[in-house]
Amino acid sequence: MPTFLDPTTFSLLGNYLLLTILVLGGLLGISGTVNLFRPAPVGEKISSRLLIVITSLLVVGFIWICWFHYQIHTQLSLELPQNLAVWLNRQLAAANSNASYAMPLYDLAHPPRYSIPVWIENEKYYFWFMCYAILGLSAHYRMRHHRFRGAVHLILAIQTTILYFFTNPFAAPLPKFMAEISPWFNENLSDMARAGLFMKLYPKMIFYYNAHYMWLHPPMLFLSYACITLTFITSLFMLVKRDLAIENLGYDFAKLGFFMLTLGMLLGYPWALQAWGPNWWWDPKICSSIMMWAVFSTYLHTRLYANKPAMWYFSSILGILCFAAMIFTFLATFFFPGEHTFQ
Amino acid sequence: MQRKSSYDFYLILATTAVLFVISIICIYSMFYFKMAQVQQLPTVMKEAYLHRMNVIVAPFITALILLLGICVPKRLLPVSWLNRFALVLAALTLITSMIWGVKLGMLLVLSISLILQTGVLGMALGGSKNLYFERKNYWVRVGSSLMHLGLILFVFDLFFFDRQALHLLLFWVTTISTVLGMIFCFYAESMVSLIKRLQLSRP
Repeated sequence: MPTFLDPTTFSLLGNYLLLTILVLGGLLGISGTVNLFRPAPVGEKISSRLLIVITSLLVVGFIWICWFHYQIHTQLSLELPQNLAVWLNRQLAAANSNASYAMPLYDLAHPPRYSIPVWIENEKYYFWFMCYAILGLSAHYRMRHHRFRGAVHLILAIQTTILYFFTNPFAAPLPKFMAEISPWFNENLSDMARAGLFMKLYPKMIFYYNAHYMWLHPPMLFLSYACITLTFITSLFMLVKRDLAIENLGYDFAKLGFFMLTLGMLLGYPWALQAWGPNWWWDPKICSSIMMWAVFSTYLHTRLYANKPAMWYFSSILGILCFAAMIFTFLATFFFPGEHTFQ
Repeated sequence: MQRKSSYDFYLILATTAVLFVISIICIYSMFYFKMAQVQQLPTVMKEAYLHRMNVIVAPFITALILLLGICVPKRLLPVSWLNRFALVLAALTLITSMIWGVKLGMLLVLSISLILQTGVLGMALGGSKNLYFERKNYWVRVGSSLMHLGLILFVFDLFFFDRQALHLLLFWVTTISTVLGMIFCFYAESMVSLIKRLQLSRP
């Protein structure tokens, strides 16, 4: 990649940042575990500050990722020689004549550029956990309950560990995208081979990387996942003690989570029609998402009757089940084949 | 006499049970999809799989639509009338389904629900005291009515799947209705304070 930006700098600085987050997350995890099991709060001020610093660093890292994507947008375009562009436009026009959704023709003055959303590949975990940290911070300041705070901190510590060791977005930035695009920079590529590669890259650019739904559908779902995680923690506490303040907090996160989940799923619908056509019903990921939505919807309805003792526990069990459904739905992407698959 | 809230409670339990069964079918479908490698099957076989799954889930979707049809008028009618309404609706659906097919039966339930829910929304917007809601807040009532109208419209819209322009237009109406409904229902207190602030800021 001769003219492309240097991903090494992005990677190096990002790794240092994530290492710092890991260390601080470890300390927060220790403090969280101690607070979870002790009858009285321990190191309240330090843990509050640690949480603020970790959240801020996660936001800084996210801005760093945004900058990297901006570099891709400004420096990486699929430029073609004029003769090839004219030939390709004829091919594109022919392809468009039979398609429900047309691809824009090649414009020599403005060659197509990548506008890659900042939540693909490993970056999605980063965004998800950052959302959790921000919401966790608000929960921390709303609820002066040291055990609850400990649980919130512990989950964040687990997330930072997963982020550093398994889903580090800085270790090898956008590996799948880089593997797809790297042949484009082969200067010895013949015209026909370049045209063939263009026809392989261009539809994915239009219907996936540059799709405006991609800026709405996934982030809403990840924000909802963060809310569900916090609702899960409150539901666990509801099982132990009938504390209305915790229940109210859980309900607030559940409302935001349900709002984001419903809107995110709805916004995915016209995109799915556009990208996959009509035959995507009964896709495993869609099935598990509908199941999760059904559980979440049931949770919100049963909560109306949480004043009945049995419904209080039923509602909290549903909150926990909703978290389990979320994990199942997320992992389904790796285990089950289909349109959303990462296999 | 049976209380309204207990009627509501049992309707929620029944809906929960149907949603639970649909969830189980979804899980079954996921594993079947994986085991049979459906994504690699020829289109004809894939369509046969889609059809088979549709047939399996159809009775429960029918039950859900019927529950929805019974659920909507609970805002308008007393319990004694609700029971009669549920019976009449079920009978009408059964007769229509037997004569003109299940699809038309479902369309009938949805059309009745749609008309009633639009009425509920109109009354909620007008601040009617004759509606039965668990919550008294004006915005919660309007929001809940909009959300449920969105849900009915979404299912209704599936009947127009083949007519893409109409299907997508209705879909966006559904989305706007649901989103506004969620905002009004979940953030009713913020809505009230926002309106108060706007009123105070007027000269």
